[in-house]
Amino acid sequence: MVIADEAQLVRSSQRGDLGAFNTLVQVYQRQVYNLCLRMVGSAAAEDAAQETFITAYRRLSSFRGGSFRAWLLRIAANICCDELRHRRSRPAASLEAALEAGSPADVPSPLANPEEEALRRELGRHLQQGLATLPAEQRLAIILRDIHGLSYEELTEALGCSLGTVKSRIARGRAKMREYLMARRELLPRQFRLEQ
Amino acid sequence: MLKVLGQFRHRRFRRDLSAYLDGVLPQRARRRLETHLDSCQACCQELAELRVTVEALGSLPMAEVPRSFALAAAPVAEVRPRPAARRLEFGLRLATATAAFALTLVMIGDLAGLPGGGEKEMPAPLAPAAEETPAAAMEAAPVETPAAEETPPAIEAAPVETPAAAMEAAPVETPAAMQAPPVETPAADETPAELAAPPVETPVAAPPGITETQREEPPTGGGVPEEQPPEEKVTEGAGVEEEVQAYAADRQAAIEEEGGGLSRGEAVRWLEIGLGAGVGILVVLWAFARLRTSIRS
Repeated sequence: MVIADEAQLVRSSQRGDLGAFNTLVQVYQRQVYNLCLRMVGSAAAEDAAQETFITAYRRLSSFRGGSFRAWLLRIAANICCDELRHRRSRPAASLEAALEAGSPADVPSPLANPEEEALRRELGRHLQQGLATLPAEQRLAIILRDIHGLSYEELTEALGCSLGTVKSRIARGRAKMREYLMARRELLPRQFRLEQ
Repeated sequence: MLKVLGQFRHRRFRRDLSAYLDGVLPQRARRRLETHLDSCQACCQELAELRVTVEALGSLPMAEVPRSFALAAAPVAEVRPRPAARRLEFGLRLATATAAFALTLVMIGDLAGLPGGGEKEMPAPLAPAAEETPAAAMEAAPVETPAAEETPPAIEAAPVETPAAAMEAAPVETPAAMQAPPVETPAADETPAELAAPPVETPVAAPPGITETQREEPPTGGGVPEEQPPEEKVTEGAGVEEEVQAYAADRQAAIEEEGGGLSRGEAVRWLEIGLGAGVGILVVLWAFARLRTSIRS
């Protein structure tokens, strides 16, 4: 989602206009929250999202143009990676446990009937478990590309690496996800099953 | 051989499938992959599975936010150092880097045996052996210092200049140097050909030091590049070379794009890291060379 006067809002925010910044928050908070949700789980997602916007406001002067969404998601990604590093130093709180506790796969879909809803939840659970097996940087690349739909140019900004590295991370992450899902193909909804 | 080449190609094509799916594969690579897909059932299957994986990931719904994350009050902005302070910091870091560079040069000069800096600068060497061991000669140069205790330098330095002077100087210094004259005096008195012969052993210490330095230096800069995608490492048959070159050009462009945004501070930081590593390695080599020289003597 890109708003027409985004650049104007960013400029106003840089001048200290909190109202303009909050308009940007309203536009991007769902994406930021969902990234945090899939990276650190529901227990820590809220705090990570809030910290993202606080950090973004403080660092507005360092935004030099380009995609504001990518810039914001990069801040969120860094905060999530910090959180994961922090967890790794505390073995009691494992990442998988945290991810599965409040699984974002349980996000309800208002349009689905009960059977579809059950299948969708099942698929969501598998995907989330598969994502949890990936290294953080590959998971980040896959989430931003395949779930958030960022372009490769935006990905280079959001991940802070070259196009070649982005392609490589996505290719490796997808290959692992493919293996993970195909090993459980009988559990997949019919539309995602391939004939051998 | 052909089978191995085929496996290489297959592996490379498999890696390209993800980029192909997103339509970001360069045109030439795309055509090659499509030709390969016409004949490779395994890759076709993998592409289909990859497509399903991407579709499945894309089907995941976005959760609604539990609350608004709008800020109630403006957080305190980050305190950044003032421009003057930042300039001062930059200057100090640059000075550190320069000092490290100068130290590196001095150590390289010492290891490589470049003349200069001492009171007794070597004139045109008489024998090739003397030419090969100026490092040792440099050690002998500060005659008054205890460093002259090392005997080989005294042996080499003396014949080049005036043996008599060396003989006079040596006994005054240390007992170690006193042992030297009996060795060098006959050599000096006899023929210059014999003069060249004894020091042949000592140069052995110098060249390994030099070659080690040359061997060790490249890794100092090796730590700088970031993560490299494995695509680049693959070198295949002549048919794939063009493709690899095209990809490398694409990669280079990406790297240049990135490099364009490299700030002055970052450049100095990398310079400091590189020089720091270089100085560290050189100090170790230098100490090692010194140790070997002292053991030999």
